[in-house]
Amino acid sequence: MGRYILKRLAYLIPTLIGASILIFFLYSLVPGNFIDGDPNLTAERKAELYALYGFDQPTIVRYFIWMGNLLTGDLGFSLQFQRPVTEVLNNYIWSSFIVAFASLFLTWAIAVVVGVISATKQYSLYDAVITILVFAAMATPSFFLGLIVIKYFAVDLGWFPAGGMTTTGADYTGWEHVKDVLEHMILPVLVLTMLGIGGLTRYFRTNMLEVVKQDFVRTARAKGLKERVVIYKHALRNALLPAITLFSFELPALFSGAIITEQIFNWPGIGAIYMQAFTVRDYTLLMGFTMFIAVLTVISNLIADILYGLADPRVRVK
Amino acid sequence: MKKQWLGLTVLSGLLVLGACNTELESDAQEENGEKTESSTEEVEAEENDVVDEVFVEAGNPAASPELALNRGNTVVVGLQEPGGVFTPHFNTSGYDGNVQSVMFPPLVDINPQGEPIPRLAEDWEISEDGKTYTYFLREGLKFDDGTDLTAKDVAFTITLLHDPSYGGGTDITEAQVVGGLEYKEGDAEDISGIRVVDDRTIEIEVEEPNARSLTMLGGQVLSEAYYGANYEKGDIDYLSDLHLKPLGAGPFRFDEYNPGQHIRYVANEYYYAGKPSVDTFIYRTTEGDSQQFFQTGELDYSAFPANRDNYELLESMEFANINVYNSSNYSYIAFNNESEVFEDPLVRQAFIHGLDRETIIAAHYQGFAEVANVPVAPTSWAYTDEIEAPTYDPELAKELLEEAGWEEGSNGIREKDGERLRVYYYTSAGGLGDTLIPIAQENYSEIGIDLQVEQMDFNALLARVDAGDHDLASFSTTMQPDPHVGVQAFHSTHTGATFRGYENDDVDRLIEASVGTNDQDERIEAYHELYQALQDDPPMILLNYNKVLSGTNARVDGFEPNGVRGITPSLEHLEVVDVTP
Repeated sequence: MGRYILKRLAYLIPTLIGASILIFFLYSLVPGNFIDGDPNLTAERKAELYALYGFDQPTIVRYFIWMGNLLTGDLGFSLQFQRPVTEVLNNYIWSSFIVAFASLFLTWAIAVVVGVISATKQYSLYDAVITILVFAAMATPSFFLGLIVIKYFAVDLGWFPAGGMTTTGADYTGWEHVKDVLEHMILPVLVLTMLGIGGLTRYFRTNMLEVVKQDFVRTARAKGLKERVVIYKHALRNALLPAITLFSFELPALFSGAIITEQIFNWPGIGAIYMQAFTVRDYTLLMGFTMFIAVLTVISNLIADILYGLADPRVRVK
Repeated sequence: MKKQWLGLTVLSGLLVLGACNTELESDAQEENGEKTESSTEEVEAEENDVVDEVFVEAGNPAASPELALNRGNTVVVGLQEPGGVFTPHFNTSGYDGNVQSVMFPPLVDINPQGEPIPRLAEDWEISEDGKTYTYFLREGLKFDDGTDLTAKDVAFTITLLHDPSYGGGTDITEAQVVGGLEYKEGDAEDISGIRVVDDRTIEIEVEEPNARSLTMLGGQVLSEAYYGANYEKGDIDYLSDLHLKPLGAGPFRFDEYNPGQHIRYVANEYYYAGKPSVDTFIYRTTEGDSQQFFQTGELDYSAFPANRDNYELLESMEFANINVYNSSNYSYIAFNNESEVFEDPLVRQAFIHGLDRETIIAAHYQGFAEVANVPVAPTSWAYTDEIEAPTYDPELAKELLEEAGWEEGSNGIREKDGERLRVYYYTSAGGLGDTLIPIAQENYSEIGIDLQVEQMDFNALLARVDAGDHDLASFSTTMQPDPHVGVQAFHSTHTGATFRGYENDDVDRLIEASVGTNDQDERIEAYHELYQALQDDPPMILLNYNKVLSGTNARVDGFEPNGVRGITPSLEHLEVVDVTP
């Protein structure tokens, strides 16, 4: 097992170098840059600013400067915020995280329950209705779903705030503050959960159906166990096994922000900031954040491999 | 110069940048009920006519959402997420400019017509030859920490802008301060043209008279004791630590910045015009549409994309005071003057006459914009209606093209020397383009022009235009504090991104004349001549002047936004009133 982990770790290095090359050069292919974004600049002033920010250097030189800084843990300096990228990320990423975490938890909890029930009652009315509902929720674009819930629940009914993270001007502290944030979280979490639930429900349903057909389930039934025990003790555990890997892949999503949903709900998360950084071509922030997500993705892949290896000895690479 | 954010196509209307004639507005306010109602009817009756600047009072202020009513003596306004650089002259995001303007009044401000008015300076003097500017500061000016604001701070600010390592967006060299270049590029220890006469008087000498110098040199002031404690020429990196801790001299003092959520200010008791009535002012950051926040009472003031639907929506919220006013910017389609097709002014005129601007603008803005006739907004002192906007006249356009040698070719597209008349038009996605493109393609194919369109995001548009890939490209100007901003790009020596290759000696001369004097009458004369010259040899297709639509929760009195300074001048006059019946 130790060698297996070491080997997986060694794979990380070329993967990350590849990712950094892709990230850097793809962004450098995007037309326009931060300084060009001001149409009032004269060519002379532009040249001065290019030199100040280092845009006058050849792309390859800039790559190595960027890479060198990365190795020391320096993601660079955001052009738009005029602060270190790490500081900007730190400012926004946690609010993205709490929404993502809440919706991840809900999505999984609901998907497991709904998926398993529709598998055990395959082709029943319940199965059909659930299938239609989850597909409808999954197929609705997030901006549409978001606007609809804002319209009904925030504007018309006034049950929840229309957006943001806190009530502006209220200055709550302590428990009041927590309550305020929770209230603001409800709608975005609802939308993200509705969007995410469809795929997972189908996944658990299929897994469950497959497991139920297997011999050990028939054996369990044959020896006279109750149907409930068969399904929830023997079948469910095995159906959940592959989900370990799936769950690991969700890790980066916890930090990557939901661009559209955050935008619509005015949630001060990293997704909305990423979009804004893109419109002004704040490359250091864009690249720094993308690289951060790349690292997280690679790490969660590693975790998935290890967990899977632990759970199922057959996949351990020799 | 204060750089506030642009009304750039996609964003325009969503911004908290207003435009309106303050006088007109207060007239409407004084004449209560009757007048207000009649203007409402007008707005509704004439579907296709251009809407006038109006102020409509809320029908039922008590209908204000509880959230707003419970807020007390705090006013909340929406703003796009700023960059967090709250030191004037150092921000790169225009929204930071809005954040700063609350705390940093300039020495010399401008009124809605663009004329200079006293702010921190109570008076100023410009020498006969226009080369010496003397500013007289008000008595007892203080920064918001209670320290004195003196002429030395002004001198420090101007010196800092000349620092070789200064990377902000203010290009002070345009003012040509004597000794400025020696400081910026040479070894000079200070700038010889700046003379601090006494604590309240500063004299600045420039190389050439320039109408813009008065406000450019008389801009926002940084405290030397605070921002310059560690200043050494050539090294201003230390300033970045102060960007989030601004020290100003405005009606409100910085209190707290919560990224992605809000910027909070409190009333400044050291403000020269007295502590404002409102205790707390908050810019709440919103991404994109803020309509729902206004509707639910989270915002007390919000600008909306100006069109009939939004107007009616505001009307339906009975607690909203509605303002419709002129923005100080204009939109246009630039010709690529380096492209061979547009060498001949006749062709450019044909493109103007061949485009049905009236229909496009009426269809898109539903009366909340009008066709532009000169490159300056109607709010400005330099505006004239004597020069009429070229009419839509496809027959004339065809004649002009014939005259320029573009003959009718196969399948309706004109040809010259075997070359087909195909032009590439670049525009940003969304906004006016969505309405303009189909109509323009039809208009132009009727007179034998093949119009190819490409939509892209704004940065890409600028980059492609900078590379000269386009024939036509859509833009909107920034807010225009001075009419020079609207025409400077047409000077042959100007090297901005949106216009290149335009050369006309007459235009050059008139631009120089219009900015080379401080006498407003002389400037007006030069501008009117210039606008005529620009119509005869057009560098662009003028599209429209924008209007801005804004709503104020009736519980707050005193919002009088204008086209050059937005809501900034109103802030110190805000007052929370009791609207409960």
